[in-house]
Amino acid sequence: MPDVEMKPADKKDDKKGDKDRKDEKKDKEEPPKPPPTPLQEIKYNVVLVDRAVATLEPRFAHRALRTLASLRKRLDATVLRNAVEEVFVKDTPTKQALLAWLPEPVAPPPAEVQAMDIDSAAAASTPAAPKAPATEPVPEVDMYLRLLMMHFLDASSETHGKAIDLAHQTVEKMQALNRRSMDPIAAKIWYALERAYELGANLADARPLFLAAQRTASLRHDDETHASLINRLLRSYLQYSLYDQADKLVSKTVFPASAGNPQFARYHYYLGRIKAVQLNYSAAHEHLQQAIRRAPAAARAPGFYQAVHKLFVVVELLMGDIPDRGLFRHPVLEKALTAYFDIVKAVRTGSLSQFQSTLTKHAATFTADRTHTLIVRLRQNVIKTGIRRLSLSYARISLRDICVKLHLDSEEDAEYIVGKAVRDGVIDARVDHARGWVECGAQTGGYGPEVGEVFQRRIGYCLELHNQSVKAMRYPLNAHRKELAAAEGAREREKELAKEIQEGDLDDEDMGGEF
Amino acid sequence: MSLKTQYADLKASFAAQPPDLPKCGRLLTKLKLGLIQAGLLLPQGDLNSDDLVVAREILEIGAFWSIRTQDVPSFDRYFSQLQTFYTDYTNLPPSQREYPIRGLYLIRLLTQNRIADFHTALESLPAAAGDSPFIAHPVNLERWLMEGSYAKVWSARAEAPAAEYGYFVDSLMGTIRNEIASCEETAYESLPLKDAATLLFFTSQSELLVFAQQRGWEVNLTLGTITFAKKGEETMDIPKEKIIAASLLYARELEQIV
Repeated sequence: MPDVEMKPADKKDDKKGDKDRKDEKKDKEEPPKPPPTPLQEIKYNVVLVDRAVATLEPRFAHRALRTLASLRKRLDATVLRNAVEEVFVKDTPTKQALLAWLPEPVAPPPAEVQAMDIDSAAAASTPAAPKAPATEPVPEVDMYLRLLMMHFLDASSETHGKAIDLAHQTVEKMQALNRRSMDPIAAKIWYALERAYELGANLADARPLFLAAQRTASLRHDDETHASLINRLLRSYLQYSLYDQADKLVSKTVFPASAGNPQFARYHYYLGRIKAVQLNYSAAHEHLQQAIRRAPAAARAPGFYQAVHKLFVVVELLMGDIPDRGLFRHPVLEKALTAYFDIVKAVRTGSLSQFQSTLTKHAATFTADRTHTLIVRLRQNVIKTGIRRLSLSYARISLRDICVKLHLDSEEDAEYIVGKAVRDGVIDARVDHARGWVECGAQTGGYGPEVGEVFQRRIGYCLELHNQSVKAMRYPLNAHRKELAAAEGAREREKELAKEIQEGDLDDEDMGGEF
Repeated sequence: MSLKTQYADLKASFAAQPPDLPKCGRLLTKLKLGLIQAGLLLPQGDLNSDDLVVAREILEIGAFWSIRTQDVPSFDRYFSQLQTFYTDYTNLPPSQREYPIRGLYLIRLLTQNRIADFHTALESLPAAAGDSPFIAHPVNLERWLMEGSYAKVWSARAEAPAAEYGYFVDSLMGTIRNEIASCEETAYESLPLKDAATLLFFTSQSELLVFAQQRGWEVNLTLGTITFAKKGEETMDIPKEKIIAASLLYARELEQIV
């Protein structure tokens, strides 16, 4: 299942990519520098995390986490070791505990360090902050470095076990500390934990842990972590095709509205999956659209973009629509969606044999994408399209010809199928059983209540888009003060004006001009 | 241990030809009590896998037993208890009866027209399950039902892979007949009685007449035809209320924007 493993990695990219994009402007304000070394970047981020704690502004922490994606790929043991050495000036248990997780540097380390590592691991659970108040960084920094290490350990298959151990220890420590300023980092740590488990192919084992943590996060109003954990759980359910449980989880929880866009994008994607399986295609369509809209730019997070679009195309077909041709020319999607493009072509022409051959040809792709069962459901849509095409081109056609043209098995079947199509409102026709033909009704002029409905749907979509964009805007704190002051001034002027009017300095015409 | 003897007894009486169904029912009730006491009915935590296999088999026999006694709600209960064994205890040796029971559950969903649940249940099956005849049967049935190949569904009723599937066939046929009837009502103006009988899979005319009466069709016995009541050309009504509601909504939204 290469794709399943790919997805999270890609998604992680988009997660950060999204944030990158959001603050691109901010980054641009800074003078263009040569790309910093990983070490420099870590140190800069540590400062940011520190500032986030000091100013109680989670914004800075988010900014530090934003570089995670690019940083992740450049991490190695030496960089991490140096980072720890430089961030923790004094030799504290926290530092030792951190270093213990890294492989030994190439230069032979002093033997006693190793000996110390062992007992320091036990001491790690007690935060060492009070020991050296001046130089000891805040626990959040410790967590941040641990997060980096987890990603480093996740990267190679030999160290997954270690990554899980580290994740467990980190989570324990995190929960013992229970600091709200840690929330943004905590959310990411849960992600790293899931990733470690998933790479070890035992995601189900982590579920009780997630469930417990989700409860806690919900009680503490820790929205960031809560959102992250709901996604973790959904992912773990869907991984094992437990759609019932996933659906129940969704109905029992409220996804925090303040969660970040990347979390929302995933949540909508998972919801889209669940709804598609439950045949609620219009709801699935809506969620997937939201996921696409909230997802970061395609070039930054191609994996997520492709995964969502794959499902989106299938759902659109199941709804009886034909996806936009332009979609398949998109540089990021073109290659990934070839198989789906073939399916779309088959559905569009309404040829069962073409559909069947395409299905068998790309069966492996669809199974890997976990869309196979959905695509199999398209069979009836293919038949319906075929019948509709026939009904448009013939005023009267014999059942035998329908049978031949649509590659159906028998005339009997054809009769039933046409009957069903008439009942479902796909075509307007009458079957003449005695003479064995179908008389297709005249086309109704394409103007009626259904046009209004389509129009209404589109307007609804636009309004929804507008409302969502308004919600997604960020407002700087205290910015309204200025407006308040301005409003105050306006009110003053108004009062003066009123006074002047009372005094009779102004007459009505002037007033009309004024307003 | 009495539980063990009862279990052996149950197995024996279920396997007997013909199976002693009332006795099985009594034994099952007792065994379920025993399972609860042993904490095996709704297993939690680590349990001896041999015990779990026994518990699973008892429940499986229970599921089959409820089908044979035509007690569908009881089948549902057994099935939901069995799901724990099938999905959460993957380390148990796979059961021979798993796919037949899952297939039966799928058929049951079909007969009730619970298509969404059908697909959810189907999705949770491993990919290899599609090769099993027990699963392939309901999957094919669903496909034919959806595309309208009712003749195939009709002819497939004899090909049921297990005897228990037959119990659902009757209700499935009832569902199909109603489907076909509603199709005929819209797609045909009139039908000769004989053709209508074949289309609806009736063997005798009297059955058809009873059915036609239920659906309120006009039967002309002298001409030997059925005429379907025209629903009347629906006059194109302007959906006033809808339009008003939509306009008001737009006005409100616009006001928010401006």
